[in-house]
Amino acid sequence: MPAQAGIRLRETPDSRFRGNERNGSRGSIVTIAQALLPVPVLLPLAVATALLAVAHWLPTAVSNVLGIITALLVMLLCGYLAREALDGQVLQWFGGWTPASSQRPGVVLGISFLADPASAAVAAYVGFMFAAALLFAFGYAETRSHFQILMLLFLAAMVGFCLTHDLFNMFVWFELMSVAGFALTAYPLGKSSLEGAFNFTIINALGSFMMLTGVGLLYARTGTLDFTQMGRVVTASGADAVIGAGFCLIAAALLTKAAIVPFHMWLSDAHAVAPSPVSVIFSGIMVSVALFALGKIVAQIFIHDGAVMMLVRTLFVWLGTATAIVGGLMAWAQRHLKRLLAFSTIAHLGIMLIGVAAVAPAAMAGFVLYLFGHGLIKGALFMVAGILLSLRASGDEIVLYRKARDLWPAGVAMAIGGLLLGGLPYGLLHRATDTIDPSAAPLITAAIVLSTALTGAAVLRAAARIFAGWSGAPGPEISAPTERDHEKDDRPFWLMLMSCALLLAVAFTPGTAVETFLSQATLRLMDIQAPNVPPPERQPNALVSYLPIALTIGLFVLSLFRQRATTALSRRLFHAELLPFRALQFVHSGIVSDYVAWMMLGLAALALVIGW
Amino acid sequence: MSILPWLTAAWLFGIGVYGVVTSRHYVHLIGCLTVCQSATYLLLLSIGYWWGAGPPIFYDHPPGTPAVDPVLQALVLTDIVVGAAVTALLLVIALQVHKRRGTLDPQSLRPLRPSQ
Repeated sequence: MPAQAGIRLRETPDSRFRGNERNGSRGSIVTIAQALLPVPVLLPLAVATALLAVAHWLPTAVSNVLGIITALLVMLLCGYLAREALDGQVLQWFGGWTPASSQRPGVVLGISFLADPASAAVAAYVGFMFAAALLFAFGYAETRSHFQILMLLFLAAMVGFCLTHDLFNMFVWFELMSVAGFALTAYPLGKSSLEGAFNFTIINALGSFMMLTGVGLLYARTGTLDFTQMGRVVTASGADAVIGAGFCLIAAALLTKAAIVPFHMWLSDAHAVAPSPVSVIFSGIMVSVALFALGKIVAQIFIHDGAVMMLVRTLFVWLGTATAIVGGLMAWAQRHLKRLLAFSTIAHLGIMLIGVAAVAPAAMAGFVLYLFGHGLIKGALFMVAGILLSLRASGDEIVLYRKARDLWPAGVAMAIGGLLLGGLPYGLLHRATDTIDPSAAPLITAAIVLSTALTGAAVLRAAARIFAGWSGAPGPEISAPTERDHEKDDRPFWLMLMSCALLLAVAFTPGTAVETFLSQATLRLMDIQAPNVPPPERQPNALVSYLPIALTIGLFVLSLFRQRATTALSRRLFHAELLPFRALQFVHSGIVSDYVAWMMLGLAALALVIGW
Repeated sequence: MSILPWLTAAWLFGIGVYGVVTSRHYVHLIGCLTVCQSATYLLLLSIGYWWGAGPPIFYDHPPGTPAVDPVLQALVLTDIVVGAAVTALLLVIALQVHKRRGTLDPQSLRPLRPSQ
């Protein structure tokens, strides 16, 4: 053992780790679940490496099928792990470096994967989304399987990110996820995709520097990188400026990944220009997984740190609210379909952050449910955008006006997606909104309703314009940025539609079906020792349940009947309406320097609140 | 440990960010980004540093010899590798952008443009 001279150690009683000694290597019993724990990460990495070796002669169709099979296997494995984890934690210390093997209580040198039920379920969902995205991408990329290899790398990184129980290991998966994402965004090598990828890379690279610095600061104070041990030391040490600073930096990095105001600007660029199958992954899981990690870190490490919890419970709720409103308004004022969906993702991430910031089991269960529901719907909608980019060579709702009437099944899918997004009282997303919401103040509820309705109505408006040719005069969306782009056009319509329909069908799962599992899983995630307490009875707030969909339909109908401004009065009104949207468009300039400045402002805000 | 490395790290991060914000050329911007990254390395190494301790290599020292913290050095090494990959990717993107747009000025490059 190397001498740990530079590390500040705190001796703490270590009963929990002693219970896990059986997970070590020497002559101990390893359950099947423990043995399988690293496989969902290793499998995609191995398949990606093998594909890279034979990519020059292997037909892309074969590598695509292999990719789908791998993603499905990951899904099944993680699903199995989630079920096993309900009975007891599934933990693996790599190389047998258990806490006991250091021979010193309180010293944790090993790196572990820990499958708690919620994390494993999110990882299973990651596998499912990748399978759907790869099915959708069939025939999209035909250059030596590079696309499929990058996707598998992306999958492995994301699953590792969900399962790891070590802060630095989490950073490594975070970086790997980012690098795969950067390369996939730039993959089409178009003008816009390159510039979008550049902005994405700069902002997220800065985010990962902040994360690394934060990890370093936390290590400096706690002398460990393991979540459980770090949580113990943080609890014992009380208020500490260095721990607070470390948390701020890590939170800023995760909020950057999760596109929360004011760290959010890169998302609309990257998601709008990435290939559609990649956008499915970006919007469907990558961003929300970052929020999941934030919730996990807060619950497992900082739950007893007063300053951090104050920051999370106040500032994060307001950041979430601001994000919901900004994202909703911006989505309403877009004409490029993928940019519209990207801003809608920002709005929904804001709502998710409100759930995470409550740091309560019920709200956390609502958040995980929201993550599933939102990702499925958003994935399906990005697939519709991909179908239009491929078969109609545009993603602009005004250019596409009435151009896709013969693709009506895609229009139906888009309308259903829009309705679900706008709060249709069926399926996972609606149930999740109900679960997140009861904890919120009236003002926050209003923001949730407004942003839900704005995003849903924006999608419905675009669907009506493109597929049915119903449209009023264009509103604020007329001056929004757009792009002439298209995607490879010789792909079968039915296959693309099938993957889209699959996601929508799963999104209609009644929320009650998974709620029992999730309420148990979040108790375990947050390490609350009360597994037998039934979830508290909630009174579904009828107003909150049905108001969003009513408002969605209202806004949609309003957009259908909008008249061209001809009289002096109506023109003045129209200009007054445009003003706030113009201001927002101006702020979302697309220039990376502005984004970095906003990001630093956000970091300063976090630091100010925690210091105060 | 003295406070000097912390101040230097903060200063490096600050000037790096200033460079990124005010940059008028992608390659310059990427350079500034690596300055920010050096700040994190410096901070990590200074956290692990211990006055009078040797390198954490024990094959010719008896166990128990004071040594600097190897964990942080491992963190820095890992991140140098990832950082190199990111920088290479950024430079490739910059090259491709220049081929297509003929400029590398961040102020005149944006992914989607207003339609009017």
